[in-house]
Amino acid sequence: MGLAISFWLLAAAAVGSALAVVLLRNVFRAALLLISCFFAIAGLFVTLGADFLAMVQVLVYVGAIAVLLLLAIMLTREAATGSPFSRWRIGGAIASVALLAAMIAVFRATPWKVADQSVVLKPTTAELGARLLTPESGFVLPFEIASVLLLAAVLGAIVLVKEK
Amino acid sequence: MIWALLGPELLLAIFALAVILLDLAVKQKGVLAVFSIVGLLGSIGASLALWGTNGIALNNMLVIDKYALFFDVLFAAAAILVILASTDYVEKLKGFQGEYYALILLATTGMMFMASTRELVSIYISLELTSISLYILAGFLKDAKSTEAGLKYLLLGSVSSAVLVYGMALVFGTTGGTHLGVIWNAVKGLNGIADNPTLIMGIVFLVAGFGFKIATVPFQMWVPDVYEGAPTPVTAYLSVASKAAGFAVILRVFFEAFGRAPWLSQSWGMLFAILAAITMTVGNVVAINQTNIKRLLAYSSIAHAGYIMMGLAAVGLMESQLALARSGILFYLAGYGLTNLGAFIAIIAISNNTGSDLIDDYKGMVRRAPVLSLGLAFTLISLTGLPPTAGFVAKIYLFNAALQSGLLWLVIVGVLNSVISAYYYLRVVKTMYLGEPASTERLSSSGPLRVALTASCFGVLFLGVLPNTVIQVTEAIKFLVS
Amino acid sequence: MDWLRWIIFVVIILAFALSFVMAFILLERRIVGKFQLRPGPNRVGPMGMLQPVADAVKILLKEDITPAKGDRWVHRLAPIVAFAPALLVFAVVPFQGKGPGLGFSLDQPAALADLNVGVLYIVAVSSISVIGMIMAGWASNNKYSLLGAMRAIAQMVSYEVPLVLSIVGIVIASGSLSLNSIVEAQSIPFILLQPLGFLIYFLGATAEINRAPFDLLEAESEIVASYHTEYSGMRFAMFFLGEYAYALGVSAIVSVLFLGGYKFPFGLLPQSFIWFLAKIFLVFFLMLWVRSTLPRVRIDQMMAFAWKFLLPLSLVNLLLVAAEGVSTIGFGWAAVGINVILAIAFVVIWANRFYRVKGVTVG
Repeated sequence: MGLAISFWLLAAAAVGSALAVVLLRNVFRAALLLISCFFAIAGLFVTLGADFLAMVQVLVYVGAIAVLLLLAIMLTREAATGSPFSRWRIGGAIASVALLAAMIAVFRATPWKVADQSVVLKPTTAELGARLLTPESGFVLPFEIASVLLLAAVLGAIVLVKEK
Repeated sequence: MIWALLGPELLLAIFALAVILLDLAVKQKGVLAVFSIVGLLGSIGASLALWGTNGIALNNMLVIDKYALFFDVLFAAAAILVILASTDYVEKLKGFQGEYYALILLATTGMMFMASTRELVSIYISLELTSISLYILAGFLKDAKSTEAGLKYLLLGSVSSAVLVYGMALVFGTTGGTHLGVIWNAVKGLNGIADNPTLIMGIVFLVAGFGFKIATVPFQMWVPDVYEGAPTPVTAYLSVASKAAGFAVILRVFFEAFGRAPWLSQSWGMLFAILAAITMTVGNVVAINQTNIKRLLAYSSIAHAGYIMMGLAAVGLMESQLALARSGILFYLAGYGLTNLGAFIAIIAISNNTGSDLIDDYKGMVRRAPVLSLGLAFTLISLTGLPPTAGFVAKIYLFNAALQSGLLWLVIVGVLNSVISAYYYLRVVKTMYLGEPASTERLSSSGPLRVALTASCFGVLFLGVLPNTVIQVTEAIKFLVS
Repeated sequence: MDWLRWIIFVVIILAFALSFVMAFILLERRIVGKFQLRPGPNRVGPMGMLQPVADAVKILLKEDITPAKGDRWVHRLAPIVAFAPALLVFAVVPFQGKGPGLGFSLDQPAALADLNVGVLYIVAVSSISVIGMIMAGWASNNKYSLLGAMRAIAQMVSYEVPLVLSIVGIVIASGSLSLNSIVEAQSIPFILLQPLGFLIYFLGATAEINRAPFDLLEAESEIVASYHTEYSGMRFAMFFLGEYAYALGVSAIVSVLFLGGYKFPFGLLPQSFIWFLAKIFLVFFLMLWVRSTLPRVRIDQMMAFAWKFLLPLSLVNLLLVAAEGVSTIGFGWAAVGINVILAIAFVVIWANRFYRVKGVTVG
C-alpha cells in the first residue's frame, strides 16, 4: 500500500517535472527540473524493487549527465532567457498530444500480462551481475560490445576536442 | 569454439586497438592503412573459413550463419575500398590518421555484430557502436561543413535511436523477451491486431528507428547535409555499409520475430511497400535539381533504399518468396555497394584535384582524366540500371522478386523511377563527355585510389556480365531461425 | 518497530554530525594554529571550546542577501542542495556491528539502513553536492561565482573517476557493496591490503571536498570566494557547515572502507563505535596535516594530477586486486606484502615519470 502510494506520487512528480522541463523558458531552471525528474525516476525504481538500478540512475543521470548539461548551459550565453519558441510550436503540440492520445488508447486496449506476486524487495546486485556475465544464460554479448562502444566514444572525444 | 565464431568481429576490434598503439610508434602513417587492410583481410579470411558453419553461442544471442558471414565479408570489403580511397584524404586529418582508421574498423565491427546477432539489446548496442563511430567520422574534418554534418547526424541519430529503443521496450514489454525467438513464440499465439495493439505500436517505432539508418522517407532529411559535409570516403562508407547493415538487421528482425504470422507480416509488408514507393519517388525527384555531386548521390542513395525496400515488402507479403526476395536484397546490396563505392572513389579523385564537388566543374572531365571519367560514367550507368552492369541485373532480379509477391504496382513505380533517375545520372555523364573543360590540366590520382576504382569497376562489370556465380551464392544463403 | 528505530537513528545521526562538525571547526583552527606555531582561538570558554558557538551566533544574526539580478529561487535553494547530501551519506554508515561489542551487544548493525548497495549509494549521493555548487554559482549572477562553479565541475568530475575505481578494489576484496559487510571483511584492514587504493581514495576525496591542497575553489587571490561569494548569513553558514560535514563524511568513509570501521585493529579488543569515532578523528587529523604542509596546486596541475597520475594508478590498483582475487594469492598476508612493495614502487616510478614529462610544473 505504502509502496503503491509512493509509486504514484513519484510518477506524478516525474511527469510534472518533465512537463516543466519542456515548457519552461529559463534553460537553467529547466535543467534543474530535469534533475528532479531523474530523482523521481530513481524513486520509481526503488518502489519497484530495483535498488541497484535506482543508485545507478542517480549516479549516472544526476552525477554525470545533468552536470554535463549544466556545464554546457553555463558556457552558453543568454541561457536565462532561453530559446524563442519555434514557429512549429502549434504543430508540435498537436502532434505530441495526438501521439499521447494514440498511446493511451493503445495501452488501454492491450491485455497486459500482470505478474501475480507483488514486488519483492530483495538485493538485486548479485543477480544482475550473474545475468550480465554468465555466457550460457546472460547478456555477455551486449555487455562486451558496450566496452568496444566506449572505446569508440573515447576515441571520438579525443578527435573532436584535441587540437594537434 | 566461441572464439572461432567471434573471429571476424574480434579480429577487427583487436586490430582497431593495435592501430591506435601503432599510431604512437610509427612516423610513416601509410603503415596504418596497410595494417588496417591486413586486419580487414584477416577478418574476411575468418569469415570465409567459417562459411557453412551454423553456430549459435552466448546464450543464443550470437548467430553465425551464411547470412551473417555474407554481410561480414561485404562490410569488410567495403571498408577496404574506403581505406584505399582515403589514402589521399588522410593528409587533411593532421595527425589523427590512427583514430580515423581505428574508427572505421570499429564501425565495421559494429556492423558485423548487427548482422550476426538476434537479440534486441545486442542489436541496439552494436548499432550504437556503428553510429557513434560514424558520427565522429562525419565530423572528422572539423571545418564548418563537416562539423555541421557530424552534429546533425548526431542529433537526428540520437532521436532515432531513442525511438528505436522505445519500440524495443514496447516489444519487450508485450512479448516478455528481447530475443527474436522468444518474441516469435509470443507473436505465434496472437491472431490479430486486437490481441496486442501495443506490439504493433512497438513495431511501428522499430520501423521508424531502423528507417532512419537506411534513410527512408520520412526519415531522410539528414542524408543530403551529412553526405555533403562528411569527408567523402566516410560518405561512401555511410551510403554503402551503414545502409547494408540497416537492411541486414531489418530483414532478420522482421522475418524471424514478426514474419511468420501472416496477419502481421502482411501489414508490415504493405507498410514497407508504401514506404518504398514514396522513398524512391522522393529521392529521384529531388535528385533532379541537385548541382552538387555529393548531394546528388545522397538523394540517389535514398532512392536506392526505396528499391531495396521492395525486397522487404516482398518478404512480408508472401512468406514463400523469402528465398528469392532475400537473395535479391543481398545481390542488390552487393551490387549497389560496389557501384556506389566506385562512384565515390572517382569523385574523391576528381575533387582532390579540383577542390570542388559541383557538377558544373565536371565539364569536359573526360579530356582531363579519361580513366576516372570512364569509371564514374560506368558506375553512374550501373546506378541507373542499364546493362551490362551490376545495377541492371540487381534491379531486374529484385523487381522479379517483388512481382512474384504480387507487387505489380510497386514494380511499375520502380520502373518509372528508374527512368527519372536516368535523367540526372546521365546528365552528369553528358557533362563530363560533352562539356567544355575549364582548364586542360590533367588530373593526378594516387595508386591506392586507382586500385580501388579498378577493383570496384571490375566488380560491377563482373556482377553485370556473370551474375549467376554470385546469385548461386546468395540463393544458398539462409538464416538460422529458432 | 521499524519506524522507531528510524527516528532514533535520524536523531543520533543529526546530533553526531552537528556536534562533530562543530568539533572539527574548532579542531581545525587549533591544530592548524599549532602547526603554524601560534595558539589559535583560545579566548571563548575553556581552551576556546565555545568559539564555534560564538561564531554560529554571530553568523546567524547577519543579514541574508540575495543579489538583485540573480535567480532568487535557485539562489535560495542552492545551500540546501549542497548541504543535504553531506547528511544523507551517514544513513548507510555502520557505527557498530552485530554481536557482542565493548560494553554492550547488538542484535543488528547500528546503522540507519544497512543498504546492500551502500557503496553505490554513497557515490551517488555525494555526486549531488556538485549540483548545489553549480546552482549557487549560476544564481549569484557574479562572474567569480560562475568561474568557481566551473572549477568545481572540472575538479569533481575528474576526481570522481579514480575515486570510484579505488572503491571498486575494495568491493572486489570484500565481495559486497554493503558498508557493514565491508567492515566485517576486514580481518586485515584494507589500508594494508590496498595501500595504493587508500592513497588514491584519500587524495581523490580530498579533492572532491575541495580541501587543501586542492582548494582551488576558494583561491581568494584568483576568484574571491568562488560560488559563495554572494552568500551571507544563514545560507553562507550552510555552505560552511557543509564543507565540514563533507570532511566528516570522508573521514567516516575512509574509516569504514580502509581502516576497519568499528573494529579494533586485528581484533585485539572487541568492536565498538569508540574505535570508529577515534578513526574519524585520525583521518581528519591527517587532512589537517596535509593542509598545513602542502601548498595549493594550480588548476592545470590539478587536472593533470587526476588524469595522468591518479587515473593510471587506480587502474593499476584495480588490475592488481582483481588478479590477486582470481589467483591463488587471495587477500591474505602474502597479498599485503606484495601490495605494499608494489604500491611504493608504482608511486615512486610514476611520480618520477610524471615529473619528467611535465617538467617543473608539477607540485
